[in-house]
Amino acid sequence: MEKIVNMSQLEDRKKSKPQNIGYKSVKWIVFVIFTFYALTLVIPFVWMLLNSVKSDADFTKNIWGLPEVFEGKNFIEILQYKVITVSGNEETVLEMVGWSILTTVCGTFINVFLSAVSAYVISKYNFPGKGIIYGLAIFTMVVPIVGTLPAQVNMMETLHLDDSFFGVMFLYSGCFGFNFIMLYSAFNSISWSYAEAANLDGASRFKIFFKIMLPMAKGPIIACCILQAITLWNDYSTPYLFMPSHYTLAVGLYELQSEFIGIGNYPMLFCSVIIGLIPVLIIYTCFQKQIIENTNAGGLKG
Amino acid sequence: MEKIVNIDFQERERVQKDYKNTNQAKKFKLTKKQRDYIFVFLMLLYPVFQFVFTWAFVNIKSIMLAFQKGDIYGYEWAGFDTIIKVFKESFSSPLNTTGVSWLNNSSVIILNSLGFAFITLFISLPLSLLFSYFLSKKMPIANVFRVIFFLPNIIPVVALTFAFKMAYKPDIGYLSELFKLLNITDITATTKYPLSQIMIYIYCIWAGLGYNIILISGAIGRIPKELFESAKIDNCGYFKEFVHVVIPMIWPTIVTLVILGMTNVLTLYLQPLFLTKGEGNTYTIALEIWDSVGSKDPKSLCEAAAKGLIFSVIWSPIILLTRKLLSKKYEGVDY
Repeated sequence: MEKIVNMSQLEDRKKSKPQNIGYKSVKWIVFVIFTFYALTLVIPFVWMLLNSVKSDADFTKNIWGLPEVFEGKNFIEILQYKVITVSGNEETVLEMVGWSILTTVCGTFINVFLSAVSAYVISKYNFPGKGIIYGLAIFTMVVPIVGTLPAQVNMMETLHLDDSFFGVMFLYSGCFGFNFIMLYSAFNSISWSYAEAANLDGASRFKIFFKIMLPMAKGPIIACCILQAITLWNDYSTPYLFMPSHYTLAVGLYELQSEFIGIGNYPMLFCSVIIGLIPVLIIYTCFQKQIIENTNAGGLKG
Repeated sequence: MEKIVNIDFQERERVQKDYKNTNQAKKFKLTKKQRDYIFVFLMLLYPVFQFVFTWAFVNIKSIMLAFQKGDIYGYEWAGFDTIIKVFKESFSSPLNTTGVSWLNNSSVIILNSLGFAFITLFISLPLSLLFSYFLSKKMPIANVFRVIFFLPNIIPVVALTFAFKMAYKPDIGYLSELFKLLNITDITATTKYPLSQIMIYIYCIWAGLGYNIILISGAIGRIPKELFESAKIDNCGYFKEFVHVVIPMIWPTIVTLVILGMTNVLTLYLQPLFLTKGEGNTYTIALEIWDSVGSKDPKSLCEAAAKGLIFSVIWSPIILLTRKLLSKKYEGVDY
């Protein structure tokens, strides 16, 4: 390797392009691959969106073209479409949307609130067993223990929570996971002197938590809420197993697939998929920066 | 004069009473530490109760179920009977519908599951590393790519698998034309082993690549710029920079992704469930457990618990050992 003898040579090296011209072509090949990959991710959904507003006849004769007539009523029809649940109840897609919203909003609130409570207490207070609780939280994330589903079903049956909204909420309220780790580091980075100042002014421990610490950790809490809401909206297994009388949209979508593919009514099926995507896409469009940053942070913690 | 004495006496009595009360109050007043403990207790009461029930209790119960056998009357202690039965059945099935002479219907499930670790380690991860590296090199519209690549992580699996399935559906899928070009004229080929399983692997690579790229490019973004400048001064090409600077600096993220890929062996079931419902010999260990749970029959629950326990005991130490060995490679790096 050539030795650098003065600063101008060093600056030249910094500005110099890589010696091998092939690198640039590799970069452009990767660019083409990226574009292709991105298109494979986007095109299926654009295709579904376009076909969701076609009539059944229009779709059959024109799979790849633009819709001849805009059939907006497909969306109204699919919302009124009834599905028979595993327990024999009839439920419309609109009701499924309602259950999805309810489980997502309540589940997100319960999970993130309890994660914040536990993270705050464990990061800011010294008490016997603190290390054990924190260690267990990490252990459950690192060590995969599988095959516990049968025991979970058994436990929920014992508690009579095997077909109940509250059963699903009980499972969603588990707070020693990803959100706990994120909020633990958030509270750790907040100085305790704010709490001491509030204490001198006569604020109680609860007041310090609710009025001072929670608002100070607002950013990470909102980020956790966004990721949790997306996870719960998309969750299939928990509502399917523990709320079989009332389908959420994620559960219903799978049932709708079997029904509509059976009769070949694809536009209606595409409508249901698009309805399932709208909330997550809105959240993603509004908060994509926070979502990607927090996923990065989560990966780092792993 | 007498009056004044009385007043003095009453005042003294009142002061003495007050003093006594204050002393008693002091005796019962909680210290700061005790009040802290009460606060901690109240705040952690539900979270710890929930954890004990849904994690500790469930895991203990799961181990107990594995040592029981169930029937319509309930559960009874079976020692190692259920475990031995499930272990034998997991490797030796008399049925063989795979079309491969050495692969019976049980061993194909294990092979399918292990395949998910293989594709993560040898296909998804190397591709993601390469792609992420180039994404960090002033790639045009890099941010647009990042946003699109992340899409599979926010879309419900049921919708994403549906979109993928549509692509190779014989009557309407655009990939069915490609199959014809590749001389795969049998329109049901994707429902038969091994193509049925290969399609699931392709789906997992397609849907999982974006998440890996986001994590890895995030880690590359945290590497101090000075290191890249020093590499440039030393005339390092892209390859040397990638191998000697990037890989060691993002090693913890790589280890995380390897471990996540390895846990897929035991946890992945939604993808085969939604893509094939397990048809075409595409069952995985987790999908078998899921199916047993769906029936809610005591016998199936015990056998599923035994299956979970057997494979956890075999696979978890391998995961932990891998993690330990990989973490030793570049210790003290945290980007």
